[in-house]
Order: sequence, then C-alpha cells, then structure tokens
Amino acid sequence: MTTRAISQIHQFLRPFAFCLIALWGLGAPVMAESWSPAMAEEAKTDAALFVGSFAQKGINDILAAPIPEAEKSERFRAMFKTYFDLPGIGRFVLTRYWKAASPAEQDRFTKLFEDVVVYTWSRRFSEYNGQTLKVVSQQPDGDDGTLVKSTIIGNNNSHFGVDWRLKKRPEGYKVLDIVIEGVSMAITYRQDYSTIISQTGSFTGLLDQMDKQVADLKAQQKK
Amino acid sequence: MKSIPRFPIFHSLAVARILGAFLLMATLSACATKPPASNPMALAAYEEANDPLEPMNRTMFKVDAGIDHVLVRPVVKGYRAVVPDAGRQHIDTFINNLRSPITFVNDVLQGQIRRASITLGRMVVNTGMGFFGFWDVGEKLGLESHSEDFGQTLAVWGVPDGPYVYVPLLGPSTFRDGFGLAVDSFLIDPWEWYSRGTGSLDWVQWAYLGTTLVDKKDAYQDALDELKKSSLDYYSALRSSYRQIRAKEIRNGAPPPLEDFDQ
Repeated sequence: MTTRAISQIHQFLRPFAFCLIALWGLGAPVMAESWSPAMAEEAKTDAALFVGSFAQKGINDILAAPIPEAEKSERFRAMFKTYFDLPGIGRFVLTRYWKAASPAEQDRFTKLFEDVVVYTWSRRFSEYNGQTLKVVSQQPDGDDGTLVKSTIIGNNNSHFGVDWRLKKRPEGYKVLDIVIEGVSMAITYRQDYSTIISQTGSFTGLLDQMDKQVADLKAQQKK
Repeated sequence: MKSIPRFPIFHSLAVARILGAFLLMATLSACATKPPASNPMALAAYEEANDPLEPMNRTMFKVDAGIDHVLVRPVVKGYRAVVPDAGRQHIDTFINNLRSPITFVNDVLQGQIRRASITLGRMVVNTGMGFFGFWDVGEKLGLESHSEDFGQTLAVWGVPDGPYVYVPLLGPSTFRDGFGLAVDSFLIDPWEWYSRGTGSLDWVQWAYLGTTLVDKKDAYQDALDELKKSSLDYYSALRSSYRQIRAKEIRNGAPPPLEDFDQ
C-alpha cells in the first residue's frame, strides 16, 4: 500500500533526471543536414533554423572543441549574450520587481544572472558525449513569438523534450526561455528569486545572494 | 515456517489514520502569514506559490534532507556501484510495468481511449514478451510509455491543485495530488486488492517498497542536485518545478500556455 504510494509520487519526479542531461546536451545537437553561412542568414527569419544554428555552433565551437574548460565557458558566455534576450528574461523573471528597480540595479541583475547561467552550465560541458538535437516542430507563440519543439537524443537512445520560446526582435530571433521536459527555466528562476526577495526583504538582498552564488560556482570551476 | 511479522503501518486503516493525523497537524500548524494588500508584490508572490503550509513544509523538507543524507544517498551509491546502467534501466521498466494498471484506469477515467489502448498494449506486450516487464518491448513497437494517476484525472475534471505539501521520502505533492495518490493506492491498484485478499505478502511489499524508492531516487538524484546548485532557494525551485512537471503531464503533450515576456 505505502509501497505503491511511494512509487507513484516518484513517477512525478522522473523528468528531473533528464533535466541534467538536457542542460549540457543543449548546446550539443548535430543537425544531420550540412550547415552553411548562408543558412545563418536565413536563421534570422526562421525559428527552427535559429535553434539548429545555436545547437550546431554550441557543439562545434564549445562542446566538441579541443580547448580548455575556461575557454569553453567564455565562448559560451559570448553565445549566450548573442542568442538570448537577457533584458527580456530579466523582466520576466523579476516581473514587478524589475519595474521597481533602478536602471543600475537592473544592470547588476542582468550581469549576475549571466554569470549564474554561464557558470552553472559550463561545469558540465566536459560530460558531453555525443548527444544530438532534432527540431521537431515550430508554432506561433503570441505576438512575434515562436515555440520551437526539439528532442535531445542520447547515445543510449534516451530522448527528452526541450522547447524553445523565441521572440522576434529587430536584429532577429532571441531565446527567452528554455523548457526542459515541462520545466521552464524562466518560471523556476522567477519563483526562486521572488522567495529570496521576500525572505531578505529587498531586491538588493537577492543581488547579494547571487553575488555569493557566482563566487561559489567560480571556485568550483577552478578545482 | 515463521511468517514475517506484519507491520501495522502497512494496514490500510493505519495508513489512513496516519494521513488523517498528518492533515490535521497540517491544518493546526502555523500557517505562512499572508502579506497585506498594501504590499502587492509580496501578495502576488504568495498567491503564485500557493503554499500556505510553508513553515511546516520547510521543516519536512529539512527532515527529508537529513534522511537523504544518512540513508537514501548511501544506498543509491551502493546500488549504482553494484547494478550496471542497463540493469537499472530494466528494473525501472519492470516497476513501471507493475504500475501500468493504474495508468490504464486513469486513461479511461479521463476519456482517453487511444491512450488507454496504448497502455493496455504495453502491459500485454511487456509482461508477455518482455520477461514479466523487464524489457520494454512496447517502446520498440512504437507504443510510447506515459504515466497517469488520479491526481491528473481530477485535474482533467477541473479540480485545482490546492496547497502544496512536502512529505519526507514521498517528496513534493499538493492536496489534490495527495488525495489522488490515496485513491490510486487504495481503490484503483489491483496489486493492493490482491495483497489485501491474500494478506500474506508482506515481504513482497517491503521488497517492492525498497526497490521502488531506490530506483526512483537513482533516476532523479543527479537532476535534483543540479537544481539545488543552480537555485538560491532550492525549496522554491523544487516547488515550482513540481507544479510545472504536473502541469505538463496533465496537458498530455498539448502546447504550454502563453507566457507574456513583454509585459
């Protein structure tokens, strides 16, 4: 009886197992088709190609590249800044707090958030072993938005879903959110951060904790 | 032959009493203070979290972390050392096959006849051709696995998820999903009816409990560790992730609702 109960509740948690792999499989993907610079131009208007291009670049320049770990994380930072809409993510993650914050605070948050993502993800780059990404479909997602569905395929034939929420900006598509097996990065950070703001009583309290987290993550990377 | 003593906790009645006591404790325990209307930002965050029992839940979360540290983690470490990847995968498939009748009944209750037939097909093929469910033959035949439970059925029927609850060992849940779990366990699960009928399968129940726990902890431990490292408040990040995973399971593959990033 209790046995059954436990087995069922754990069913709910299974997808977590995949989030981990997804996070570093992310940059991983190989599109079977050949890739040319001309297609990069096209990627500015085609959402599926945009995701494919991000994936292809991630694997060639970072995951499978024979370069030191520190170099990988700096390359990832450059890519993250180009492909992701950081202020847009900041607005969503902080919602009401973003509007109440001063431009200097917003700027500090964006920089810290960038560090959090770069150092969290790059710790796992060395574990990459050949996962590939396949774009499954794309569909409209609100004003100027597109939801691209993709699958990451591991070498033991495991597969799980990663959805990309893209928004068309004047300079082309930008990623606003990544949803791994149903778990949105942006929504999870939003709840996490709003708890910290309530606990510490201020936006500065959140920034200070992020500062500390970045320092911890950096220290781990050196080992 | 001496039979293994029955542990009272495994009697349905006793379990029901414990659950009842737990819920009573939950309602009596100090609730989180609702922020005043004069602080709309804190109020919105409070409502989004839907966690009025947060103080108790956080205590349970700490208790669980302790159990995890002294008991669960060392066991999972041993399990990984002893059983190779492929073996662990087969055990996982076996356990999921045992639970497929519950998925089947809930598929039907949700009116998902196509999904019900897939579940039934998997059950038959995996049990018959997959050596009692250790091999996922269904997957190879294009019958993709999915999981349903009464909590999801209630959601499909329009019942909201209600306050969040964290239970040591069981992990995150909500009032609706906890109730659904009780219905699945006591009313729907055919193995429960079977063991109640024969009344002499305690060791099977224990073995099943242990294996399931270790199997599931093994499956998600790394991802949870990752979530813990990437978050500032692990408790909130897990609460949010749990709700999102449930929402996805309830949608059955339909696209997620729009999020307004340009508000």
